[in-house]
Amino acid sequence: MINDLVGHHHNRLENPITRLPAELKLDVALVIIVGTVVVPPWWIGWFASAGLLVILAVLFSRIPLVFLLKRLAWLSPLILSVALVNALQPAARGSWVIVAMRSTLCLLTVILVSNTTPFSKILRVLKRVRVPGLLITTIALMHRYLFVLTSEAERMARARASRTFVRDRRARWQTLSTVVGRLFVRASERAERIYDAMCARGWK
Amino acid sequence: MNNAIQVANLTYRYHDGTEALRGVSFSVAQGECVGLLGPNGSGKSTVLLHLNGILPEKLSWNGAVQVLGQPVTPDNIETIRRQVGLVFQDPDDQLFCPTVEEDVAFGPEQLGLSEAEVKARVTSALAQVGLEGFGRRATHHLSHGEKRRACLAGVMACEPTVLVLDEPTSDLDPRGRREFKALLRRVTATKLIATHDLELVVELCSRAIVLDHGSVVADGLVVDLLNDEELMLAHGLERPHILRHHHPHGEEA
Repeated sequence: MINDLVGHHHNRLENPITRLPAELKLDVALVIIVGTVVVPPWWIGWFASAGLLVILAVLFSRIPLVFLLKRLAWLSPLILSVALVNALQPAARGSWVIVAMRSTLCLLTVILVSNTTPFSKILRVLKRVRVPGLLITTIALMHRYLFVLTSEAERMARARASRTFVRDRRARWQTLSTVVGRLFVRASERAERIYDAMCARGWK
Repeated sequence: MNNAIQVANLTYRYHDGTEALRGVSFSVAQGECVGLLGPNGSGKSTVLLHLNGILPEKLSWNGAVQVLGQPVTPDNIETIRRQVGLVFQDPDDQLFCPTVEEDVAFGPEQLGLSEAEVKARVTSALAQVGLEGFGRRATHHLSHGEKRRACLAGVMACEPTVLVLDEPTSDLDPRGRREFKALLRRVTATKLIATHDLELVVELCSRAIVLDHGSVVADGLVVDLLNDEELMLAHGLERPHILRHHHPHGEEA
């Protein structure tokens, strides 16, 4: 289930957006995101055209709407809470609509690019535009082991659930904290083994 | 002729005080394929990590481990790592790059080879392990058997003289195990295989070394050691079925 949320969708789809060069997609996405964040709220034309472009890209990408909305819902809580705080302030009445619109547009763009571009290609573009190597390695390792760790967390949660016989909320939280702690220990042990494996193949 | 591996009186203690190795000594001749056996916690993996200089954390100058006549010391650790290819037990520990070809290219890139040479090595290593056409695949989407092969390709791409494998067939289904054994049989490098898969040892290795409680308790011909039921049972092992009766698929010991 967790892997469904963090996994990519592009592997199963062949569409015009997937076939576009990664550089072009990242450039356009960057322009949309930066533009959406910095333009003043009364530039309705910008929001309309950027929104239209993203919607067209979504249609061409043939990514199911339900999938997009689920991702959006998963990523939105923080941004929606900022919008909510704005909505409750009398001085900033109305600005919550703009905050919600900006964030939805940016998130949709990111979700769309990440699900129509293989991750290795994104990394290759970052390398080409001279993003520091250490940062790229860190991002690559995070992405690679995200799936391993989420699978591990799922297995641990399943094992915990199979031996949870009482519906005691406090006990459940206690067990959950133990699982999270154990996952942290496993992750750090794995990090050491990965480092050993890298050294074994000549990493300096 | 120098031994490919020479270990003399090797001792190692983990940070928590556990004595993992107590005066381990053995040698492996060049071109030989040797099985390293023993129950869980006997020190097999710890020995393997010493052969590549991953352990001890602070390399000593005492030369307890020698590879192709050279002691594993801080001076020549890079040379040693070029010569000894280590395949780890958990493929997820070893495959850390986003795609198969990037992972296989990691070792050759570390060797400082040109882009064309790296590409040639990757193509050749993937072909060797039967993963042609898998280069662009994401490593986390491979099956367990494919991950094992990709790990082997990553090490083979460095063209090591000595290949050291830690539990290479654990978690593989029977077909995966059979295919991986066939792959290993084709590898001409000197091989040291730590494993619980005794059938693999019978089929691939000429000699076996039994470790228990961090010490070598037996070293000899595979057929002699693995047929010694008393010895096998005393050290958490057992006489493999392949030696008890003729294999149903006609494979002979």
